[in-house]
Amino acid sequence: MRSKMLAVVAVVSMLAITLSACGPTPEPIVNTVVVQQTVPVRETVPVKQTVIVNQTSVVEVTVPVPVTATPLPNPEAIIQGVEPNAEITIWTFWLSPTFDDYVKSTIARFQEAYPGVQVNWEDHQATFQDDLRNSFAAGNAPDVINLSVGEGWVSEYATKDLLLNLDDAVPQSVKDLYYPGLWKQQLVDGKNYQFPWYQGIGVELINRQIYDQTGLKVEDFPKTVDGLPALCKTIKEKTNTLCDIRLTVNDLLSQMVYEGNVKVISDDGKQFTFDSPEAVAWLQMYVDMVSDGTVDKTVLMAEQDRTGLDLFVSGKAAFYQTGPNLIREVRANNPGLYGYLAVVQAPVGKSGVVGKGLMGISVKKDTKFPNASIALAQFFTNPRSMLEFSKIVAIYPSTPASYDDPFFATPPTAIEDSARPIAKDIISKLADIVPTIPNKADVNQIVLDAVQQALFNNVPAQQALTDAVTKANALLK
Amino acid sequence: MAKRFSLTPYLFLTPALIAIAVFILFPIGAVCYYSFTDYDIVTPPKWIGLENYSNLVHDPTFWKALSHSLIYLIVTPILIVLSIALAIIINRNLRGIHIFRALFYVPAVSGSIAIGIAWRWLFDAQGGLINGFLVWLGVLKEPLQWLAEPAYTLPIAMLMTIWMGVGYYAMIFLAGLQNVPEELYDAAEIDGASSLQKHWYISVPGLRPQIVFVFVISSLAALKVFEEILVLTNRTGGILDSGVTMVFYLWRQAFRLSHAGYASAIAIALLILTLAFSVFNVRLLERGIEAD
Repeated sequence: MRSKMLAVVAVVSMLAITLSACGPTPEPIVNTVVVQQTVPVRETVPVKQTVIVNQTSVVEVTVPVPVTATPLPNPEAIIQGVEPNAEITIWTFWLSPTFDDYVKSTIARFQEAYPGVQVNWEDHQATFQDDLRNSFAAGNAPDVINLSVGEGWVSEYATKDLLLNLDDAVPQSVKDLYYPGLWKQQLVDGKNYQFPWYQGIGVELINRQIYDQTGLKVEDFPKTVDGLPALCKTIKEKTNTLCDIRLTVNDLLSQMVYEGNVKVISDDGKQFTFDSPEAVAWLQMYVDMVSDGTVDKTVLMAEQDRTGLDLFVSGKAAFYQTGPNLIREVRANNPGLYGYLAVVQAPVGKSGVVGKGLMGISVKKDTKFPNASIALAQFFTNPRSMLEFSKIVAIYPSTPASYDDPFFATPPTAIEDSARPIAKDIISKLADIVPTIPNKADVNQIVLDAVQQALFNNVPAQQALTDAVTKANALLK
Repeated sequence: MAKRFSLTPYLFLTPALIAIAVFILFPIGAVCYYSFTDYDIVTPPKWIGLENYSNLVHDPTFWKALSHSLIYLIVTPILIVLSIALAIIINRNLRGIHIFRALFYVPAVSGSIAIGIAWRWLFDAQGGLINGFLVWLGVLKEPLQWLAEPAYTLPIAMLMTIWMGVGYYAMIFLAGLQNVPEELYDAAEIDGASSLQKHWYISVPGLRPQIVFVFVISSLAALKVFEEILVLTNRTGGILDSGVTMVFYLWRQAFRLSHAGYASAIAIALLILTLAFSVFNVRLLERGIEAD
């Protein structure tokens, strides 16, 4: 009987325990976690803590706890005194829509580095120059402007006193980030007005479908400009195609200087000298090519690089000098030609200098927010921003530090990247050797008229240039 | 009995007068002022009196541009003749004629820049359709660089203007032809007139108001030609300035060389020229209406 009683008590106890297990969990008396610790890192960290889980037992558990980071100085924020809540506008030249993501992400990084600065971005294309002139006239020019160094835009606006003198506005430590030749690539009265941005390397794109018919080897492509007339003659004879060569009609004086090693103005700046024997020899080279009928005259006198590029992309030219970044045009518009492309270094002129820089970023002189504007211009041209840009298109940074990245040591796989291993060496040697030219646009128009007279109107090169010097000198008085 | 002054008509006129003042009179006044200044668009203008006009008179490129603009007027009679001929051809009740009428009108509604690019391809030195055709026919031994030959720049631009305009003007003449009474043609046929005689003696006189109208608007358009030159010559004005017209020269001075003051003087010269033409044309128009 006693054992029966014990059995009943045992069964009831088990049932009670089972039923109690099926009921609601008892509320813990304390469920607050107290962490008296500040951790100067951003990520979630495991922290040991004591948690009382019920009235009777205490256990130790490890739980992830989010903590607030204490901001560290952003290494990219190197411009001091940026105006709080500044709102600035930047104009770029022909980057949208291809590089929208890059520009937007760079602006987002800038805003992390300089919190509170509002950036408005606009991209202008074929009408960039007209838009910019009009905006200056209307008094609403952008604070930060992407200007072409190659086309002489920096000097155009700097001589009109519209840009901020960066030599005086930027500390030496910032200037030292850039190649000295590029920092000084377009001085006006000895002062610099641009942060050097992305650079290009002059390469010759070769269409092997045409070029190979000449029997010449790509490796033997002329190393100097004066080898081009003979090459064009051979191409005309063997393939009946014309050479796709362009005179930079917007800046002929520069072309004279680089290709012909011509001294265009006297040291005191009081007299033009571009009718020297060197200048005549330079012009005569083109006169001979035109009279031989070996060059496409439309491209030769085209105002825009695109005209010559379009001819090459259409597959009708044996070679064309441009930047490797524009090989993407061939791939996009004529994939059949892309497979037949070869790239060699562009021939050098008699000056021996490979060329001048491509793009810069300037700051408007009367901006309301000079420090924020300088910061943005500097940010776009800092080593990290340019390295990231280089990774998406074949452009080259103007900061030596960018080339320390393993990316530049990687062997090229696509033809667009074939200049990458030698880029640092070439970019470090870019320099503007053209002196400041007063009334540059007018003088260039005078030279253009003279060049056309010699090329197409049988006026002797010497006479055309001497007449042009007389007219140009009149502008100096 | 004295008329009562009413403000109402003036209130109705006010919006239009404001628009004219802001968008026409003020710009003309501003250009007139700038023509007496040295102005580069981006910095404030400096008063230089008559210097721009004095330079203009001694500027050979200006005279070349003026002569090119006057030569360009040749397109006007050619356009009139071709448009009338086209209007007569499409003024028939043939099957599917509406499609042809629409096709001829396509250039009028196409962008001049797009047309210019297409024409550049047509005349391309390497692989252009014109060269290909002429070489195939044996007319040319090797392709010609049409757009790089100074002698051809202006004629090609004029040809393009004619091609662009002929469909548009033909529609104007077509509307005029459909107002010519059919009985006149019937009577002429009974009298034994040939088709050519019917059109010469009935259609053309019947189109007199339209001819005068087309003459007025096409000659003013010819004097102001710009896009054709800009696109065909790749913004250069052609080799040796062979395609430079008044408006192109104005554009080059203002936007390529930043001589907005000088460009304003060119604009005033062009204004005087077009004004003189307009007066002449209006007189012609009035005489035409009186004659009718």
